[in-house]
Amino acid sequence: MLSQKVIENVLSAALSKGGDFAEIFVEDKLCTNIRLVGGLIENNISGRDYGVGIRIFDKLNCIYAYTNDSSEENLIKVAKEAAAALNSATTDLTLNFLKGSPRDINPIKIIPSTVDKKKKVDLMKRAYEVAKNYDASISQVSINYLDDDQRVLIANTEGVMAEDRRVRTRFSVASVASKNGEMQQGFYGPGASMGFEFFEKINVEEVAREASRIANTMIDAEHCPSGVMPVIMDNEFGGVLFHEACGHGLEAAFVSKGTSVFANKLGQQVASSLVTAIDDGTIPNGWGSTNIDDEGTPTQKNVLIENGILKSYLIDKLNGRRMGMDSTGSGRRQSYKFAPTSRMNNTYIAAGNSSLEEIIANTEWGLYAKKLGGGSVNPATGDFNFAVMEGYLVENGKILKPVRGATLIGNGLKVLELIDMVGSELSLGQGMCGAESGSIPANVGQPPLRIKSLTVGGRKEDK
Amino acid sequence: MDYRQLSQEILNRGKEKMEDLEVFIQNDKQIEIRIFKGEVDKYSISESGGLSLRGIANGKMGYSYTEKLDETSIDMLIDEAYENSKYIDSPDKEIIFEGSDKYEEFENSSSNLANTPAEEKIKFLLDLEREALTMDKRVASIQACAYQEFKSERYIMNTKGVDLADNNSGAFAYISVIVKDGEDTKTGMSFRIFKDLKEVDYKEMAKEAVEEGISMLGASPIKSDSYPIIFKNTVFADILAAFGSIFSADQVQKGLSLLKDKIGEKIATDIFTVVEDPFLPNGFYSKAFDDEGHKTIYKKIIDKGELKTYLYNLKTANKDGVESTGNGSRGSYKAPVTIAPTNVYVEKGDKTLEDLISSIDKGVYIISVQGLHSGLNPVSGDYSLSADGYEIENGKIKRPVNQITIAGNFFETLMDIEAIGNDLEFTIPMFGYIGSPSIKVKKLSVSGE
Repeated sequence: MLSQKVIENVLSAALSKGGDFAEIFVEDKLCTNIRLVGGLIENNISGRDYGVGIRIFDKLNCIYAYTNDSSEENLIKVAKEAAAALNSATTDLTLNFLKGSPRDINPIKIIPSTVDKKKKVDLMKRAYEVAKNYDASISQVSINYLDDDQRVLIANTEGVMAEDRRVRTRFSVASVASKNGEMQQGFYGPGASMGFEFFEKINVEEVAREASRIANTMIDAEHCPSGVMPVIMDNEFGGVLFHEACGHGLEAAFVSKGTSVFANKLGQQVASSLVTAIDDGTIPNGWGSTNIDDEGTPTQKNVLIENGILKSYLIDKLNGRRMGMDSTGSGRRQSYKFAPTSRMNNTYIAAGNSSLEEIIANTEWGLYAKKLGGGSVNPATGDFNFAVMEGYLVENGKILKPVRGATLIGNGLKVLELIDMVGSELSLGQGMCGAESGSIPANVGQPPLRIKSLTVGGRKEDK
Repeated sequence: MDYRQLSQEILNRGKEKMEDLEVFIQNDKQIEIRIFKGEVDKYSISESGGLSLRGIANGKMGYSYTEKLDETSIDMLIDEAYENSKYIDSPDKEIIFEGSDKYEEFENSSSNLANTPAEEKIKFLLDLEREALTMDKRVASIQACAYQEFKSERYIMNTKGVDLADNNSGAFAYISVIVKDGEDTKTGMSFRIFKDLKEVDYKEMAKEAVEEGISMLGASPIKSDSYPIIFKNTVFADILAAFGSIFSADQVQKGLSLLKDKIGEKIATDIFTVVEDPFLPNGFYSKAFDDEGHKTIYKKIIDKGELKTYLYNLKTANKDGVESTGNGSRGSYKAPVTIAPTNVYVEKGDKTLEDLISSIDKGVYIISVQGLHSGLNPVSGDYSLSADGYEIENGKIKRPVNQITIAGNFFETLMDIEAIGNDLEFTIPMFGYIGSPSIKVKKLSVSGE
């Protein structure tokens, strides 16, 4: 993407006014995005993201600059402008690049750009027919097809020179059900670090049915009651619980500055002994998997919590300096427009022993959250919130009826201690995680589990 | 090659394959500074941009874009846009606009930020952080102390003769503090949006954030029930912004807005008026033309409770047989034309915040909500949001409240507005620059203990 000579010259310019570390990140990404609404292809856009980010560390200070113009002349100019923010003596630089042994945890069979767009469009139309005809209540269906082919080159003054290619495909269906002047929405959007062969793995008709099933269930649901109650969370996207409640608080960006509730708690019991939580950037073809992170460090499998004991944080280079700890391969960014920071890849709670049926059978009264929507957290306090997309009331060990419009709120440290049953069927769900270094693909996951008591925010029945 | 030349070249060559074409260019300059413990933690500068091409072939519109702005990209842009157009089967008429007769001339104050040296911006943040840290011994640390500045240039050129350019600039600063009292940890924040750093008083900002954090110490939930609610001005503005798509003609035409067939009907209480003013002095989305080159227009979206208009771009306006309202928007050069508001605000009323509070026997004053991207559904209007605030008893603020949710339906909430404050304030611009005064609502479900 850039010659070694150019890279050396840019890194030298970056350290021309002091600093002890410089990095260059080159990105070239092809994107395709097709949108279908009401059975008709409405938008079809493709393009090329291209740019270079330059980062300089001076001890714990970070300078970042980026540009679209990758001519050597401009890159050196940008590197010097960034360096000017330091304004001390030139750092001597001896560069000796070590090319790491390449690995390929996300083997790609069919590069999306080699596939006729008609095939992509046909998939969407097939899914539309199924989603629309699922039930008479389904009034509108929108489908998004997305593929990305991102090439990155990362080189730094520690001798890292690494390249990676990340191909990702996602297919999502949003169905709307209408009845009596009300509307409810169902969404399902699987994705993977795969090419067009992803569609050999997933069945678009099933994705469509699932989105319409949720909308059709929720249109007949009553409003969820309010109050504190046991909550059973199902697997797959239920993992957004751990992602919001704890995952963000384990990111070094907050821990290193002491602004996370999990700071200074390594080796301590922070969760129920039933809880083991892992962040693994190496799951083959996983939605959040990459060979190297966006700082050039190979990704790894990080055990964050083992049987309730806090074992590790998620660490990037800069915050690792602050903490005196090594990177865990967790430095990520949306694009060259963002300086990387510590982020999650594929995060999940490990499987336990109970079945979902047992968990429900052991619950006298509570909420069964089958599908969750998104959420957010304040890492300083650990207070989190997330939305329930598909929920049911449980009474006397049985599912009673669907309920809509619930939000779950709680505190990360407390909720981990309140997990009192963990199921056996682990599965992962795909999401986009937004934070300081942009919006990145991340898997969340868990087996079904129960939280002894949680605040459920619903609406009481009107009068 | 300069942009005009490059655009002309693309349009000329594109004409060989397509009927009409349009180039949209956006260039951004940004500066971001973050301070931590008296030092510059992050200093980021950037200059970047992209070019989008859209073109009509056989009546269908195809899009392409690139961030590699040079001659080598021209063929790729045209080929991709042409190829992409082939798969469009929406029957809606696509329009490359010939331009409006006249564009409003208005005073959009240019910012002085580019001439302010970086040292002054850094000093402002250092002062802000120190002020907040030393204001009260319960301030434990600073979660974020940051400054962001942008300058954005826009350029539209098409084969129908539109050739328009403008630019916009501004900055915002925010601070989030962590306060502790024993094990009790709370956060408080404040922000300012501005075009001149001199307008901003760091002492006031620090005080607001620290006072908010400290006022929340000792907070606990309130008993689950229905209560009268006062929304802080910027909180109601955030909620209105999150529900903004209900006014989009595109959502209405697709059956995704419950405001369908409601023009001329009452959708809110009599005292509720919502204005879009694209010419608002110091408005962050002030502009004379939209992203399709159509002139922007001052209008009331809701007038005394009555829905007056949807927001239109050219395509949706053509479909409804009306004029575009000048709300054609590209989220960026990577996105197709959709619909977005410019500067939109709820007209202020005549009550002070104290008047609103003193009118409530038992209720909650909400000062922040979380989960706007997830706990709120513009299609159904339902929302359930994590919230913080204060319990009101006998017309007075009694104590801080946290770990609660407020839930309702936005369309019902609009009909339940009982009083409007005189304290119009704009929130951090995301999809439009949205403002509101404090709003009192008859009742909402609160979930707590």
